[in-house]
Amino acid sequence: MKTLFPFFKWANNTWLGHTVSDSIWLFPAIEGVHIVALALLLGAILVLNLRLMGVLMRERSLPQLFRELETWTLSSLIVILVTGAMLFASEAVKTFYSYPFRIKIVLLLAAIVFHYTISRRLMRKPESELSPLLGKVAGSVAILLWVSVGFAGRAIGFF
Amino acid sequence: MARAFFHDAKEVTLSSQVVQSIAKNKERIVSRGRLLNGLIAAAIVSVLVSAVVWFLAVAIPAKTGSPFAPIRDLCAWIAATRVGTGILESVWVFPIIEGLHLMGIALSIGVLCWLDFRLIGVAFTDQPVSKVWKQVVPIAGVGFALMFITGALLFWAEAVTAYDSVHFWIKLGLILMAGLNALYFESVTHRGIAEWDSLPVPPLKARMAGFASLILWTAVIITGRTMAYSF
Repeated sequence: MKTLFPFFKWANNTWLGHTVSDSIWLFPAIEGVHIVALALLLGAILVLNLRLMGVLMRERSLPQLFRELETWTLSSLIVILVTGAMLFASEAVKTFYSYPFRIKIVLLLAAIVFHYTISRRLMRKPESELSPLLGKVAGSVAILLWVSVGFAGRAIGFF
Repeated sequence: MARAFFHDAKEVTLSSQVVQSIAKNKERIVSRGRLLNGLIAAAIVSVLVSAVVWFLAVAIPAKTGSPFAPIRDLCAWIAATRVGTGILESVWVFPIIEGLHLMGIALSIGVLCWLDFRLIGVAFTDQPVSKVWKQVVPIAGVGFALMFITGALLFWAEAVTAYDSVHFWIKLGLILMAGLNALYFESVTHRGIAEWDSLPVPPLKARMAGFASLILWTAVIITGRTMAYSF
């Protein structure tokens, strides 16, 4: 971990980090955008994975739903990552010592990779080739991952 | 004969491959354009949200001027109860409730927004509104229940702080407006749904309800966040 510290220090000392942490309203403003994008992203992820589990929108084909929501998820994911990086820059050194932050980053990477590999492959398959059990397991794992990212993110502010 | 048959079959698969690859490329270009649109919309929304937070932080004094004593006393009493202090002073309970409250946002607003987008006419346009309604509203209902319960618990712990914060009152007003908007939609606009159920873009009344819901709930999220910072 120690080898990564210079990066955290550098992030904290960038123009962005100083500007955000010196302002009284920028941090809440960016966090506001972060959470609005989170609502949109997690909402779309929930709809997709509940469909994968066979709970929701059963009469609509999954590949079609995936294609329709693809843009929404990707654009809100980009917004979340950009605002998240800004928030990170403003308190990078503090987050270096924060366990919830470490957990969150690992979970976030896992969730993104899971979504764009396994979930994506399952969701783009024609319905007939998808085993219901596999869909249920993958859907619940994905939802669990994203919800844990949310909780770990909230925990950064507390611990 | 057999040779000719195989020859034809080969040609058919070849041309269908070409058609498929053209369709794939077209889809890629379309989805790239949609991503650009999405990012432009995201940038506009981000600027608007930041502007609202700036306004709330700079233009309005964060504390209410004249506290109305009886209600403030009531809030003080609520916060001083065992449950109130217990939640506030616990290492784990407060963050967990707050986390559940945040997840409630995704489950309620994040899911309900798809109905709003359908009402505006930007998502699921090939599906009847009533179908989207049926799929989305029960889940969003669970989310809203979670939000209200966890919200009440958070208020229990911080009743006086909330009472003294302007952002809390703005947030309550916005929730009330969002509720009234939903009530009006359900009791008046929703009744005539048969006439525009399958239209890709519903009539103005329904579109307005969708817009109002999106804007109001976004504003609720913003004020909820500004409440936590005393400017």
